[in-house]
Amino acid sequence: MSSLRNSQPKKHVHNNLTKSDENFTVRRGFMDFSIRMIGVASTVFWILLVAFFASAVYSVKDLHLSLGEPQLTLKANSSITISIPINIENGGYYSLGDFNLTTKVADLNGTKITEGSIFIPTIKRGCELIALHNLTFSIDMLLEKGVYYLFNDSSFTVTALVSVKLAEVIPVKALSNFSVPWGAPFYNFQLGQPTCKPVNQTHVEVVVPISFENHAPVEINGEITIFMCNDEGTLAGQGASTITAPQGTLYIGEFVLYVQISEIGQKGFFEVYFSTQFLSYGPLVIPYG
Amino acid sequence: MAEESGMKSFAKKFVFNAMKAVLKTFVFYGLYLFVWSFLAMFESYVPNLHQMVENFVIIYISLGIFRDLVSDTVFQYFFDVAKAFFVIGYLTLALNSGIINLLYMGITLTIDLRFFLVTAILLSLLGLSRSILQAINYVNKKVESTSLNF
Repeated sequence: MSSLRNSQPKKHVHNNLTKSDENFTVRRGFMDFSIRMIGVASTVFWILLVAFFASAVYSVKDLHLSLGEPQLTLKANSSITISIPINIENGGYYSLGDFNLTTKVADLNGTKITEGSIFIPTIKRGCELIALHNLTFSIDMLLEKGVYYLFNDSSFTVTALVSVKLAEVIPVKALSNFSVPWGAPFYNFQLGQPTCKPVNQTHVEVVVPISFENHAPVEINGEITIFMCNDEGTLAGQGASTITAPQGTLYIGEFVLYVQISEIGQKGFFEVYFSTQFLSYGPLVIPYG
Repeated sequence: MAEESGMKSFAKKFVFNAMKAVLKTFVFYGLYLFVWSFLAMFESYVPNLHQMVENFVIIYISLGIFRDLVSDTVFQYFFDVAKAFFVIGYLTLALNSGIINLLYMGITLTIDLRFFLVTAILLSLLGLSRSILQAINYVNKKVESTSLNF
């Protein structure tokens, strides 16, 4: 009996230990499983991340950007629009997002002349598209900023910023600055020495030679009007001449003015007015005598 | 006699661990060469890209070898933790906190790799937490087996 009494608690303790052991084993198994799952998940995500990143970067080699021939458009509100066709070919594995091209044109002093931008939300993979990037120049604004560009060659600073999201998640920006030469449409504009020839008792014929070089990228067609004034500012006579100056040529011409003898002086000045398909400007005051 | 058999089993285990480390190194290096074949074309655009990636691979593999050599000891988890910290630190430094600026033929390139960096850091932290859990589990098992022996 006593041996039975002694053995019962022992059995009870033994049973408790077994249960605890089982709990330990289950918990340990669960811990091992959780750790293994974390490891598997970590490895899978690392492989996905590296594969995605490498393929997204590798796709850049199949992305082609090219610029087409710029087209010049004249508008009624005396502005010139330069349209640059941009050919975008996405041959990569992923779509491109938030494609943006911004161009800023400034003069040599850094003053902004014009700005243009183009935004394409998504460029699907395997897609080829042509987008027009427009830059509008207001001639009036250019003239306001300085007559300098009308008669002198110069250069503009163009800042181009291209931004795109590779695979729609990796933002990439490319910034470039370059100079664009500006050719003046009336470069080295000069009036030569006027020559006088009597026509009758009251009037003389004054011939004024004119010359300039058209350095602008387009042909200049228009009219130049000239007013001859004496040193008191009284108008003595006027003349006009139609001009056609192809791109990059030297224009040589002359004005014929019929001037009253009584109004003509030894000294005075010419007032020159320009009117072309792009702009109207005047007066340009040139003294004579 | 028991000491001799203990030495033998230790040597066996060490050789096995070393072989495992060599095998893992080959696999990892092969994987690196495969991934590098995609990135090699950008070597001319990014200065020191090859050096940067190779340094990373060398240190990562070295830590992996040391880890395998001391596997089945608590030190392997130290190396796992070191590896996780190394990945976080190296990527943060090498990727200039995620914003890379390059100059190529007068064009300034800015590449924003913050998404990649943050994901890589999060995965490294996951690996770090796994290592800590493994270390806890290992010590737990060790204590458990010691108490059962008593």
